Amino acid sequence: MIGVDPRVSGTQRYSVHVERPGMLHAAFVRSPHAHARVLAVDASGLPADCVALLPEDVADLGRYGCQARDQRVLADVARHAGDIVAAVAAPTAAAARAAARSVDVTYEELPAVFDAVEAVAPGAPLLHPDAAESAGEAVSIGVRPLTGTNVCHRFRIRHGDAAAGFADADVIVSRAFRTPGAAHAPMEPHAALAEWEDGRLTLWTGTQTPFNTRADVAGAFGLRPDDVRVVAPPMGGSFGAKTFVRLEALVAALARKAGRPVKATLDRAEEFLCLNRHPATIRVRVGAKRDGTLVAKELDCWVDTGAYADCGPGVATKMGYAGVGPYRIPHVRVDALAIYTNLPPNGAYRGYGAMQSVWASERTMDALAEELGMSPLELRRRNLLRDGDVFATGEVMHDVHFEECLDAAARAVGYAEDPRGAGLCVLLKGMQTPSRAAVRIERNPVGYVVRSASCEMGQGVRASIRLMAAELLGCEPGQVEVPDPDTDTSPFDTRTTSSRSTHMMGRALAVAVRDLRANGGEHGFGEVVNEGGLDPDTGQGIASTHWHQGAASARVSVDEETGKLTVERLHGVAYAGRVVDRAGAELQNEGSMIMGLGTALFEELDFDDGQVANANLSDYNLPAPGDLPAGFTHELLESEGAEAHGLGETVLPPVPAAIGNALASLGLDVRELPLTPERVLEAVDRR
Amino acid sequence: MHLILNGKPWQVECEPGDMLLGLLEREGLTAARATCGIGVCGACTVLLDGVPVTGCITLAGQVAGREVTTAEALGGSDPVQRAFATAQAFQCGWCTPGFVLAARALLEENPDPSDAEIAEALGGNLCRCGSYVKIAEAVRIAARELAA
Amino acid sequence: MNQGFIDPDVLLSLGAVDGLGRIEAGDGGELRLGAMATHRAVERAPATAAWPVLRRAFSLVASPRVRNVATVGGVLADADYASDPPAVLSALGARAVLRSASGEREVGIGELIRGYYETCIAPDELLVEVRVPPQPEAAVYRKFRSRSCEDRPCVAVAAVRDGDALRVVVGAVAETPQHFPDVCALGAGRAAEIGAAYGERIEPIADARGSAAYRRRVTAVEVRRAVEAVA
Repeated sequence: MIGVDPRVSGTQRYSVHVERPGMLHAAFVRSPHAHARVLAVDASGLPADCVALLPEDVADLGRYGCQARDQRVLADVARHAGDIVAAVAAPTAAAARAAARSVDVTYEELPAVFDAVEAVAPGAPLLHPDAAESAGEAVSIGVRPLTGTNVCHRFRIRHGDAAAGFADADVIVSRAFRTPGAAHAPMEPHAALAEWEDGRLTLWTGTQTPFNTRADVAGAFGLRPDDVRVVAPPMGGSFGAKTFVRLEALVAALARKAGRPVKATLDRAEEFLCLNRHPATIRVRVGAKRDGTLVAKELDCWVDTGAYADCGPGVATKMGYAGVGPYRIPHVRVDALAIYTNLPPNGAYRGYGAMQSVWASERTMDALAEELGMSPLELRRRNLLRDGDVFATGEVMHDVHFEECLDAAARAVGYAEDPRGAGLCVLLKGMQTPSRAAVRIERNPVGYVVRSASCEMGQGVRASIRLMAAELLGCEPGQVEVPDPDTDTSPFDTRTTSSRSTHMMGRALAVAVRDLRANGGEHGFGEVVNEGGLDPDTGQGIASTHWHQGAASARVSVDEETGKLTVERLHGVAYAGRVVDRAGAELQNEGSMIMGLGTALFEELDFDDGQVANANLSDYNLPAPGDLPAGFTHELLESEGAEAHGLGETVLPPVPAAIGNALASLGLDVRELPLTPERVLEAVDRR
Repeated sequence: MHLILNGKPWQVECEPGDMLLGLLEREGLTAARATCGIGVCGACTVLLDGVPVTGCITLAGQVAGREVTTAEALGGSDPVQRAFATAQAFQCGWCTPGFVLAARALLEENPDPSDAEIAEALGGNLCRCGSYVKIAEAVRIAARELAA
Repeated sequence: MNQGFIDPDVLLSLGAVDGLGRIEAGDGGELRLGAMATHRAVERAPATAAWPVLRRAFSLVASPRVRNVATVGGVLADADYASDPPAVLSALGARAVLRSASGEREVGIGELIRGYYETCIAPDELLVEVRVPPQPEAAVYRKFRSRSCEDRPCVAVAAVRDGDALRVVVGAVAETPQHFPDVCALGAGRAAEIGAAYGERIEPIADARGSAAYRRRVTAVEVRRAVEAVA
């Protein structure tokens, strides 16, 4: 029977549903302290059918981490409340949790720090004294730690001469902004299952990064990458939470000790301790001529990456250049620091740092407009990058559509006619550069199998691959099978992040289909490489081979007695280039905007001595159906012959800034997210 | 304990502290999913004597002698399910069975709901992927289908 | 139990106890809500038609799915400070009937709810019924949420006026519903003063929905608005 999609009928199986014969269930022993040395672990009271993973069991394993190798399979020093110091496997999940509660750990508490700015002040406790050492071995982006500090990476842009630029400015505006931590809160929790056979490890895990995970886990266990197989079933949402190693090395170590497969599934409270969004403090200083021409900009970002770096260096980097904005500015200085604190680790979160710096940068643009007595729309138009302009990274911009995006956003809320109560934001966001994507096609009796390591998390990448392949191959989408990513059989792909997959896989498919046609029609292989990268000391180079471009606009009203903000109208614009799957693209825009709304209005992790005080979905609010503004619309801009542009994140970052600017147009200047009624009321009092 | 599960008599062993959701999981029924643990997200919705309830906070003992229906029983050809498919009212799909059951319950009571009534009735279901616009559209499509 | 906070040895279900779910009229035009009556039943029962403010308060709780199961007795015995029904029941002058093997007693909602998840129900007592006097025409319930529209209340105000008698009860701001009869005695014509006084008199808590100081501010505003609505 051809029924409805299994996601509708409820028969879809996700990473939590993987089972292997004889498997045990894992539970974790977590530090209650935010910073403490583990002195002793006593698991002597465990029932006979439980297996404990203790410090001595992992002494032979190496450290891992995608950009700084600062994580251990079990923490010898707990660096955040919830850090895992021991683990247990048992025949049932309930038995494992009970056993984990019975493990007794002795700690020596250490001073802790919970704020990125405080963590770089003199005398702050150091979380990773050997940070410099681990980054030296790391892959990827050219990590630059500052030895002897909590800075695991500093990103810089030096473009022109900022000091000289400011000297030349007629008007200078300086502002500081803050954004809190937030939870990804995918509906499906993290899940991973490990099984060893003859020295070879197989991991079934909800992940966006099968090849990174394979490399990191292999490295930790001293194996060759080929001795580790990572299979990535579809996820019930991720939004970046399931990026890079989270549970995989732990379940692998437990499975090694137990001699049986071991599966771990986090409960909801644990989800808040696993990986969150980077809090940031950002100072913006921008200088302009009387006529609004921007001449200089400085950005200082303190990015709280929590107890472990994860991809904090990458996030700080992207936050740094996204914060420049889609503008022509001859003199730019950016300094973005990824800083360790004793909060749970922060990592990839939809937007990858762009939301935080776009909030700061675009709010400052409106402040500058006010100083100049100019319309915020006109100020932006005057300075937007055009084809052929040079960005602050020194790269020449092409396929530029910022003005189109901004104009569409402004039109949607009637901004030019009535700017009072309305706000705008326009942004640029980069796509992972450099990167590689490959795809393999095999003919089969009903059609084709397309092997790609792009991971499905609800963004519809499989549907896009099916559509693109069908179009190129001249068959029906239903004839194209796209199996789960599997590092044994899927060709290499850098990772499913950064809204790159439709674009990169589309290009790889074109190469693969040409190869298939040239070679008898049975097999085809295609690989594309996206060259570039930035010099870590100057921030010059190619940040992104193509840019995600978008805008948002909002119209708001405020109950000035309670501070309650109502978003009457919200409009998002994304430059899509070429839309592959229209419904899927609309869902990505809508989903991004809704997540942006949560960020703007109420999502905030409450930390209390490093503990997450609101670690459940009642105390931490997610947007509900009734939270959508009465006017909630979006557009996908296309142009003839354009390539597909990533859409998975573009219209999240501009939403908070558009709403914040709308609020500011009423004289209510709030510089911290979320825009709670309490903060708005304080702004009413100040006005 | 005896009950009717998806139309068939079912006898199951359980502890007093077991929740209904755990029983269903052990039976291999995975449309209702453990998600928030406190009854706010709706992803573990099941029908108890035809009425939606929260599987993760319904004690197994409470359903003795009663009828439990999971989303799997709809078979994939239910008009509300078809409307969700037509509207492509899902992304990862984790929350979708819960929304389908909530939508069905709404339309059973209120065959022609306004947008505000739809938002209110579905307010106990969370979708982190943010498919609400198309979910509301699916409900409107289903309402038209069922009225016809 | 799901979060591992409690692990009881024995669970006793009231589901099969006859008559505990009844909703019916009682003596003197009062409404009798059985402890096992669900929120949904209160919203819809013909017997509650003359208590629109009660229907409204119960209908605002959570979602239909939760209201299918949550009960009148449950919400009161749980004494969660952030729930809707207690403030309205208190403003209407409702009484809870507590029964034990040795007899029955009636307590007002203010006496019933003693503190944070704490009631005056003795270990051998069961809350079996809630008796609600007739609702006067002027009655309103305002639920102020500071975050999502699905959030629990930050400040909840029930105001009921019967002739010159005014009762205003504020929920969700403190451990127990807050009622100041001496302030209400000022009368519905002095809404701003009543609001300001309530704002000063409450001992607010801070939680994910707002700080104590913020709750004071909003209480003053929401109480004023509620009193204006029943004046």
